[in-house]
Amino acid sequence: MGLAAAVVALAAGCNNSPPKARVLPGPDAPGTPVDPQDVLCRSAARDPGRVTLHRLNRAEYDNTVRDLLGETGSPASSFPPDDHGFGFDNNADVLSMSPLLMEKYSHAAEAMVESAWTRGAFKTCVLDPAKPEACARELLKTFARRAWRRPVTAEEVERLVAFVTLARQQGDAPEVGVKLALRSVLVSPHFLFRVELDAAPTSTAAHPISDLELASRLSYFLWSSMPDEALLQAAEGGRLHEPEVLEAQVRRMLADPKAHALVDNFAGQWLYTRALDFAQPESRYGFDEPLRAAMRQEMQLVFQEFVTGDHRFKDLLDAPFTYVNDRLATHYGLPKPGTQAMTRVELKGHPERAGLFGKGALLTVTANPDRTSPVKRGVWVLEQLLCKGPPPPPPDAGGLAPAVDPTLNIKARMAQHRVDPTCSGCHTLMDPLGFGMENFDPVGRWRTKEEGGALVDPSGELPGGKSFNGVAEMRAVVKQDPDLSACMTRHLLTYALGRGAEDADRCTVRDISQQAESRGGRLTDYILAIVRSDAFLQRRGEAEGHTP
Amino acid sequence: MSRTPALSRRTLLRGMGALMALPLLDIMRPGTARAATPAPRRFVAFYTPCGIHMPKWTPGGEGAEWSLTPTLASLAPVKGDVLVLSGLDNLPGRPDGDGHHAAATAAFLSCVKARKTEGTNIRTGISMDQVLARAVGAATRYPSLELGIDQGKGIGNCDSGYACPYANNIAWAGPSTPVPKETKPRAAFERLFADFDPNVTQAELAKRKAYGLSIIDAVRDDAKALQGKLGTTDQRKLDEYFTGVRELELRVNAMDASGPSCGTSISPGDTEDVREKTKAMLDLIVLAFQCDLTRTCTFMLGNARSQRVYSFLGLSSEHHAYSHHQRVQANYDALAKIDKWEVEQFSYLLQRMKGVQEESGTLLDHSAVYFSSEIADGNMHEHKNLPILLAGRAGGAIAPGRHLRYGGQPLANLYIALLHMFGVPATTFGDDGTGPLPRLGA
Repeated sequence: MGLAAAVVALAAGCNNSPPKARVLPGPDAPGTPVDPQDVLCRSAARDPGRVTLHRLNRAEYDNTVRDLLGETGSPASSFPPDDHGFGFDNNADVLSMSPLLMEKYSHAAEAMVESAWTRGAFKTCVLDPAKPEACARELLKTFARRAWRRPVTAEEVERLVAFVTLARQQGDAPEVGVKLALRSVLVSPHFLFRVELDAAPTSTAAHPISDLELASRLSYFLWSSMPDEALLQAAEGGRLHEPEVLEAQVRRMLADPKAHALVDNFAGQWLYTRALDFAQPESRYGFDEPLRAAMRQEMQLVFQEFVTGDHRFKDLLDAPFTYVNDRLATHYGLPKPGTQAMTRVELKGHPERAGLFGKGALLTVTANPDRTSPVKRGVWVLEQLLCKGPPPPPPDAGGLAPAVDPTLNIKARMAQHRVDPTCSGCHTLMDPLGFGMENFDPVGRWRTKEEGGALVDPSGELPGGKSFNGVAEMRAVVKQDPDLSACMTRHLLTYALGRGAEDADRCTVRDISQQAESRGGRLTDYILAIVRSDAFLQRRGEAEGHTP
Repeated sequence: MSRTPALSRRTLLRGMGALMALPLLDIMRPGTARAATPAPRRFVAFYTPCGIHMPKWTPGGEGAEWSLTPTLASLAPVKGDVLVLSGLDNLPGRPDGDGHHAAATAAFLSCVKARKTEGTNIRTGISMDQVLARAVGAATRYPSLELGIDQGKGIGNCDSGYACPYANNIAWAGPSTPVPKETKPRAAFERLFADFDPNVTQAELAKRKAYGLSIIDAVRDDAKALQGKLGTTDQRKLDEYFTGVRELELRVNAMDASGPSCGTSISPGDTEDVREKTKAMLDLIVLAFQCDLTRTCTFMLGNARSQRVYSFLGLSSEHHAYSHHQRVQANYDALAKIDKWEVEQFSYLLQRMKGVQEESGTLLDHSAVYFSSEIADGNMHEHKNLPILLAGRAGGAIAPGRHLRYGGQPLANLYIALLHMFGVPATTFGDDGTGPLPRLGA
């Protein structure tokens, strides 16, 4: 029995509440018996689903105004925080609009237009006070096309030029009117939302999205920002959906520094790196700001190599290199590179640091402030790498009580989990994965003894009989799990679309992960498989009478 | 500096550097002559996460004969202004399976059971403060004010299959529309106070309004052009946009040169120290009321399932971890410390409000100030016998200074009673409200 199947079987016994939508079967390992899912997916139609009208989140807003206006002041930092759903803050369903946000948008637009004007961002033509219309028309047409990420109609342009007339009536110079028009472009729903239209909003028949809509899907997936001129032109030419054109654009975009957005926004949330900003380990661990910064950069730099390099996506689990500066190297017990700048180092002599499970950022955010939490670490592996969120704990379940016998190691103290029948179902799965990381303290330092003095026991046995001793063996078990590929796909697809990948998407997820693995298994292969999928290229309407 | 186009004060301040402290604004000096109109009634909901350790909360005694418990000790200066309400239940807060914190937080002011979803089709009910805002909000510049401390970590699942909006918002303008909160004191202050230009002429003001309204007309037309081309769910987002535009229009129409004429204050700095941040936010609530900028305010001292570490209380683990106390004394002690600190913040707010003199009484006399948590005991996720304080006199509708025991009435009935105090004739509320909670008045 694979780890995945074991979860399903075990979970059913935990607190009588079987896991629901969060368990998504993945592809089988070669040679295993035929999975009924596979048979099902062979014949099942693929529903591309629908993405809700998507408001730009704070990161997308900041990046978009950066690319549109050269605005680098992060105006969205004064906006209220965005909620997130399905693990990501670009989930369109939970990105609400509100009066408070509208006020912020309105103020930000005014300030940004003033500052861009002062910087001379709109000097492509001269506004002749006597006859300003022609220049205004040119400026506004160009700007609105970029800001709304599509060609604008003559009617829309004239509507914007009318602000110049209004300014004249009020006795003001034409530039006052142009600036008003620019502000209105930035507060318009065409700017604030990523609009995708359904010709027949109540029909559930799938239809291809337009090339312009596709351009925005691509740019917000890979850059968290608006399409650039090359992408916009490709879309206007009507050929973006063609596989070779699409692939060429994806490769071009991934090579652009703006693809760092995948590191900040996808990996930052998938790998929990963002939570590092809020970590508050006990002072006795010597955790400080330089260490926090180094850990964050390490994770970012390693992931960046997966965006631009030739690594297999799965190798994220055991990649034998990392980035450290003197501070982080000392923390890890690695040779110092002799600089405070992050430096790439090979980990051949330190296999324990290879891959995700040796990263301080991950180890810190999955620990409690004052001790390690094998449960949190185990749950992270299950949810983020295997998509096997355990069912919730029983109502009376709690954290670990303070150690009564400090000579016992944490594994021995947690043995109760496996004795108590209300707990054992889930904990026999969660705990061992976490035990495998017990050689790392709450801030990711290597240790052989717990704080109480007990020897660390990093061994574990998973349901189904797979056992391991230490982090290297544990990560090998996870890396071989047949569900790993589908789970990475699921998170990436959720982020790519800005909607949750749910039960109805299981065959789509399967297709994508199989295609990506067959083409080389790089992150790029996963991204390409996603953008080629119907889920990315199509949408459908919503049946009438559906009241969410 | 050029007079055209009129830069808003905000724009000027931005240009001068974001970290600069705002000077004392002239417009905020106390008004000299004020008409003797009766003071309006105000409402505050003060949310605190992860429940309360009830043995150190609930007072012995009943009626006017009750004494402060260790957790409530800081209320001593305002004991006569506070009702302790025991025995109220919010059963709609119970989740399907687990997810107690998020489900109960979504039901905190709505008393409606939230739909279990990680994001798609979120749904709870309109919250009581928003019902109030609809009824009395038109009288002030802001129909309601939403403030909080935590901006959220932005990773993972918020609570066992319940989406983050449930965990991070107590104000809901509609069943699927959370009202986001400001979590930065400085941004909140600037929104309320920094947008006035005392030197503007009437003609210029009229022009600014015309310009502001012309932008609103244009973007409203843009939104109208999308109607009919969108599915039901998209239409809901567009409706939220229309609501935002309408509010913006009200704001533009209400623009005047004088700004709020009320107490004095300087802009709070940006800080992540929870003590300073909390104080700044509570000061803002008082100031917003003093200036009559709003009459309804919600405040979240933390988001649901808070993992805050109260190191300044000598505690090293997370709030949520302590709340699963497993009947261990050390965890009880930690919770009692946190609870005590939370009540101290509430007491600070009450004392500030009591210190503001208005026509025929204090600000506190004219307010109903509500404190609670989404659950009672954190280990059991108890949705019954919630920890509730109701302070102030609501202009005479509340007779405080007592401990009342209700023995299992719906929390929704408290909200019906509160709505009545503000002239909203509700007969039902949420999933289980049946009528106004009795005995709050004399």
